[in-house]
Amino acid sequence: MGIITEKLPCYIEPIPGGSLLLTSMDAVINWSRANSLWPLTFGTSCCAIEMMMATGAPRHDTSRFGAEVARPSPRQADLLVIAGTIVRRMAPRLKTLYEQMGEPRYVMATGSCAISGGPFMYNSYSTIRGADEIIPVDVYVPGCPPRAEAFFYGLLTLQKLIKEGESVRRPGERRKPVLSALPPGITLDQIRAEMAAVLKSDATVNVEQAAKKLEKESQDGQCESADGCCCSRT
Amino acid sequence: MSVHITTLDDRVRLRQDDSSPLSTQEYFVNMGPQHPSTHGVLRLVLKLDGETVREVIPVLGYIHRGIEKMGEHQSYRQFVHLSDRLDYLSALINNWAVSMTIEKAANIELNDRIQVIRTLMAELQRIQSHQLWWGVFGMDLGAFTPFLYGFRDREIIADIFEETVGARLTMNYIQPGGLMYDIHPGFVKRVKAFLQYFKPKLAEYETLLSGNVILQERLRGVGRMDGQTALSIGATGPVLRASGVPLDLRKSEAYGSYGKVAFDVVIGKNGDCWDRYWVRLEEMRQSMKIVEQLIDNIPEGKHMVMKPAVKIKLPEGCYYNQVETARGILGVYIVSDGKESPYRIHLRTPNFNNLWAITETAANWRLGDLVAILSSLDVVVPDIDR
Repeated sequence: MGIITEKLPCYIEPIPGGSLLLTSMDAVINWSRANSLWPLTFGTSCCAIEMMMATGAPRHDTSRFGAEVARPSPRQADLLVIAGTIVRRMAPRLKTLYEQMGEPRYVMATGSCAISGGPFMYNSYSTIRGADEIIPVDVYVPGCPPRAEAFFYGLLTLQKLIKEGESVRRPGERRKPVLSALPPGITLDQIRAEMAAVLKSDATVNVEQAAKKLEKESQDGQCESADGCCCSRT
Repeated sequence: MSVHITTLDDRVRLRQDDSSPLSTQEYFVNMGPQHPSTHGVLRLVLKLDGETVREVIPVLGYIHRGIEKMGEHQSYRQFVHLSDRLDYLSALINNWAVSMTIEKAANIELNDRIQVIRTLMAELQRIQSHQLWWGVFGMDLGAFTPFLYGFRDREIIADIFEETVGARLTMNYIQPGGLMYDIHPGFVKRVKAFLQYFKPKLAEYETLLSGNVILQERLRGVGRMDGQTALSIGATGPVLRASGVPLDLRKSEAYGSYGKVAFDVVIGKNGDCWDRYWVRLEEMRQSMKIVEQLIDNIPEGKHMVMKPAVKIKLPEGCYYNQVETARGILGVYIVSDGKESPYRIHLRTPNFNNLWAITETAANWRLGDLVAILSSLDVVVPDIDR
C-alpha cells in the first residue's frame, strides 16, 4: 500500500504499553477499500496506453494511491477500468468480466469512447455508445484519451465515493455515477440534456420552421422541450 | 465444381484418432480476448498437444469500430483524426499516410519545412513506439524493469509532442496541406536534449536486456520465418526486415525528406524472434540518426500551404498511397466520386498482415514461446480490426 491520502477518522487513546484506536466499522472498511483498489488489466484501445502510462510508468505511479496491483484475472480485481471503445462483439465479454469480479466492485469509464462512443458515436455500426449501456459505471473520466493526471483525478474521485458510500447497515448501495472532471453538483443527465439540446438545435436548419417555432413559443410562453425529455436514456 | 471454404468451426473440430494407446489427444484453449499478453482484445484459438502449440487461429473483431465505413460519411479533413485511432502508437505516421494520399490526388505541393517537420515527427514517433514495444516485450518475457525504463523514456517524447501538438497520443497533427500548428519555439532544443539523453540509454537497454542469457535462450531460433513466407503473407516493417528482405519505403520511395538523409535499412538474417528484437533496437538508432541530420536545418516557410477552411474535393478516380509506419506499410486507398467525402476508403494496415505470421511461425513451439513470438510481432489490435 502506498501513501495514504487521507487519515482514518479515529480517536487514539493512549494506554500503558501502547494506545487504543477507536473508530467506526464503516470508516475502517471503506478506508481500507478505498486505499487498496486492485485494477483489472483490461484495455481495448488507445486509452489503455495512457492507462499504462498512469499505472505502470515511473512518472505517474498509482502505488501512491494503493492501486498498483494490476491483476489479469477478474476474480482478484476490484476495479474495472474500461479503457477504450467497446464494440458489439466485446460487450458480452465485458459483462462477463464484470460479473466475474467479486463484490464490492467499482467501474471507471475512461475516455470518450467508454463514456458515449466518442469519435465513433456517429456513423459507426458496431460501437456501443457508452459502456454504461452494459454495466453500471461509477466514475467517468473524460478525455480522448484522458491524461494520466485525469486518470488520477478519477481514481481520487472514486476513493472519495467509496469512503462516503456503502456502510455495514446498507450493503451494496450504489452511489450515483459522477463525472470526474466537472464541478460537483452537475449530473450526467444534465450534461446529456444539454448535449441533446445542442444536437437538436443543430439539426433544425429549416429557417421557416424555426421562425414558426419562435412565434409559437412567444404565444405559448414557454418551450415544449424544456424538460429535455428527448435525451433521457432509459 | 464446388469449393469448400474452411470455416472456424471446421478447424476447431477435433480429430478422433485413438489407434494407439500412446497417442495423445489434442485440445483447444482460448487465449484472449481479455489476456495480458495479447496487447488488447485479440483472441487466439490454440490447438494444443500437451504444452505444444499445434495450430494458432486468430479470431478478430473484438474492437472492430467500422472506421472504413465511417470514412465514407466524413470529409477528407475529418478522416485524418480517425487514422489516429488505428495504430495509436504511430498516430502521426497514420496522419501522414492519409494526408499524403489526399495531397497527391489533389496535386497539393508542399514546401520543405512541412516535409522536414513531418519526417522529424514521424521518426520521433517511431522511436516512441519502439520504446513502448521494448518495455512491453520485456514484461511479456517476465522482466518488469524494461517496462519502467521504456515508459520513462517514452514520456520525454510525449512531452515534446505535447508542447507542439497539444496531445500525447492521438495527435491529429499532420493535415492535408501541411501541419495543424507550427513547431513550438523550444522544439529543436528539446529534441536535441532528448537525443543526448537517449543515446546512452539505448546502450543501457542493450546491457540490461539484450545480453541476458534467459532472453537469448528464449529468442534465438524461436519462431523462425524465412523471407519467402514473410513476403507471401504480406508481412512488412520490422517483421519482414528481420527475415532478411530489405523492403523499407523510406528508402525505396523516399517520400518526405527521407531522400535527403543518410540511414541504413536494418535487416536480420534468420527471421527469428531475436532478429525481430534486434532490428527494432537498431531502428531506434537509425531513427535518431535521421533526426540528428534534420534537426539543425529545418527550413523556413509556412506550416500550411492551403487555407484550413477550404473544403477538399478530389477528382473522380482511385488513389493509393503508402507509408512506412513503425510496424510496416500502411496503405490508404481512396475511391472518389468527386464529392466532399470519399466514396470508399480502404486501409491496408500493417498489423493485419503481420499477425498472420503467427500462424506460420508458432506451430510446434511451446505455449511460452507463443507469447514471445506474438510479442515480437508487435501487433496493435485496433489496427487489425479497424
